[in-house]
Amino acid sequence: MKPLIEAKGLKRYYRRGVETVKALDGVDVSIGEGEMVSILGPSGSGKTTLINLLSCLDAPSEGTLTVAGKPAAGLTEDQLVELRRGTLGFVFQQFHLLPTLTVAENVELPLVFLGRSVERRKTLEILSWVGLEDRASHLPNELSGGQMQRVAIARALSIEPRILVADEPTGNLDKKSGRMIFDLFKRLAREKGLAVLITTHNTAFGYEADRVITLEDGRIVREERPART
Amino acid sequence: MNQPILMRYTTLAFRNLRRRRVRTALTVAGVALAVMVGVALGGFMLGYRGAIDRSIDMLGFQVMIMAKGCPYEAATMMLKGGTGLLYLPADTFDKVRSDQAVESITPVFVGVAQKEGSGIRDGAKEAAFTVISGVEPASYLVMKPWLRLKAGAGFENGRWFKPESEDEIVLGFEAAEYEQRKVGDDFYATIQPAGKPDALRRRFKVVGVLERTGTQDDGTVFMPIRAARLAFNRPNELTILGIKLKDFNSFKLREFENRWLKLPEVQVVGLQQVKTTLIGLVATAQTMIAAVAAIAILVALLGVVNAILMSVYERTGEIGIMKALGARRGDIFQLVWLETLILCLLGSLVGSAAAVVGAGVVERAIRSLADLGVSGSIVSITPKVLAYAVLGSTALGCFAGLYPAWRASSMRPVDAIREGASQ
Repeated sequence: MKPLIEAKGLKRYYRRGVETVKALDGVDVSIGEGEMVSILGPSGSGKTTLINLLSCLDAPSEGTLTVAGKPAAGLTEDQLVELRRGTLGFVFQQFHLLPTLTVAENVELPLVFLGRSVERRKTLEILSWVGLEDRASHLPNELSGGQMQRVAIARALSIEPRILVADEPTGNLDKKSGRMIFDLFKRLAREKGLAVLITTHNTAFGYEADRVITLEDGRIVREERPART
Repeated sequence: MNQPILMRYTTLAFRNLRRRRVRTALTVAGVALAVMVGVALGGFMLGYRGAIDRSIDMLGFQVMIMAKGCPYEAATMMLKGGTGLLYLPADTFDKVRSDQAVESITPVFVGVAQKEGSGIRDGAKEAAFTVISGVEPASYLVMKPWLRLKAGAGFENGRWFKPESEDEIVLGFEAAEYEQRKVGDDFYATIQPAGKPDALRRRFKVVGVLERTGTQDDGTVFMPIRAARLAFNRPNELTILGIKLKDFNSFKLREFENRWLKLPEVQVVGLQQVKTTLIGLVATAQTMIAAVAAIAILVALLGVVNAILMSVYERTGEIGIMKALGARRGDIFQLVWLETLILCLLGSLVGSAAAVVGAGVVERAIRSLADLGVSGSIVSITPKVLAYAVLGSTALGCFAGLYPAWRASSMRPVDAIREGASQ
């Protein structure tokens, strides 16, 4: 499997007053196309820091990182944006849909930033993929939490990314909606060949991924490939 | 949604502004109010200067000779027909008439009389005053050839009074309207003769009514100069000499002034000098109002900056997501900057429209606060004034939007998303 993300000796320090906090302390990770990887761990273990680094939202203090074949360590903020554009799709715990845009317009928003043409037919295709084609003209406040998260996934998919990053995507959802979202991620990895990287507190969901990385105190303490029944 | 990028951003900016409608409306109203004040003030400055120009041009004189006194008083006397009345010896007329530089000359005697409360604007109890101008129609009409007698029903056989007549008068357009007088009607006025203890109630006959001129002549009661002097018991005095010079330029005017300033009781006032004096009279007040308008605009701009900053703060998480999804610094900057621009543009359009609609109200308000000494419209809101207002406030909007836009565009996506989640 060709690695889309490859990190070696990844470290991230923060200054908190006079103290230096090691949020991540030497992590090696490799994620390939069509692979779904869960990152588990207690609060403060470094899950979000790791996912931020791997998705080029933040720059590592030390270590090497390659994303979609391009070196990502030591880049400036603007260079990181260029690396993300069109390669990475994001889903967060907070959906952050624009309340004055319809579902379809929210999905098309990233294309505006990328300067790409917008085709409503394609948008509807993506929405049908997440099961919301009949909600295209609705406003976000007319949707349930699970539906809003699916719109956020559709929005991430609109740019046809190679990597999908989801930070606690089920954190604000009930169990049923969370299950639906997780199933969707599995399908995206399997059917669209996306590398899917997820952080979650929900161990049961996390163990449905192809690989599970468990972090503690900024280090990987366990890496497993759950057996499929 | 396949519009050019700027159009898409403009649409997005509009949608964002719609999220907080009350805040947006209040911010636009703040800008509109400031622009309205600015436009009204600009219109007043322009209109007032125009009104002074018009009023002085309609005096028909290039130069006036009057009794020595305050130049401000002289200026108001020229336009209002005289309140601070000082008198010249009547023989000044003959002396000046002999000057070779004079093309035409007309003597004017001005007096103020108390009229009866018959006018439509007079209160039941309060007395009202009217300006009586004693003139020689022959020489006066050379200066003011546009003065025409009204014709039609009620004004048939209208004419100028006979020079030797003692009770014939011609009413200016507004004087006749307010007094509800037509040709052939009587007109009563109480005159206080100089040096006499008792005022005299006089009855006059209206022999003519003038067409509207838009000048102080509209409110004036004209009568033969000889009769006016006698009525006010100033048989050897006059108020103004209106003069046209054969060759009028600043050099000739100065020569003329120097010749006649040797008379101890005389001041020579040139048309340009009066204009400058009158404009100078209100320049200080205008500067103060301009300062108030500038403060209003500044406050409105601070309101815009505050509203946009609040909006940026509320959308921190969204901005973080947009950046994560591929928005560059410039994209976010444009988006927020456009929102500021739209607020200022909308405000300036609403304010300009309100200023145009409310110009009449502003004019009435200014006139009720101060007697500006000119007739005709004093608020002139031209397309140029409106263009300056819209362009000016848009330019200020561009400036005001810089900080919020910079702040939004400088957010790191990681921090913005984290902050957004904790809000």
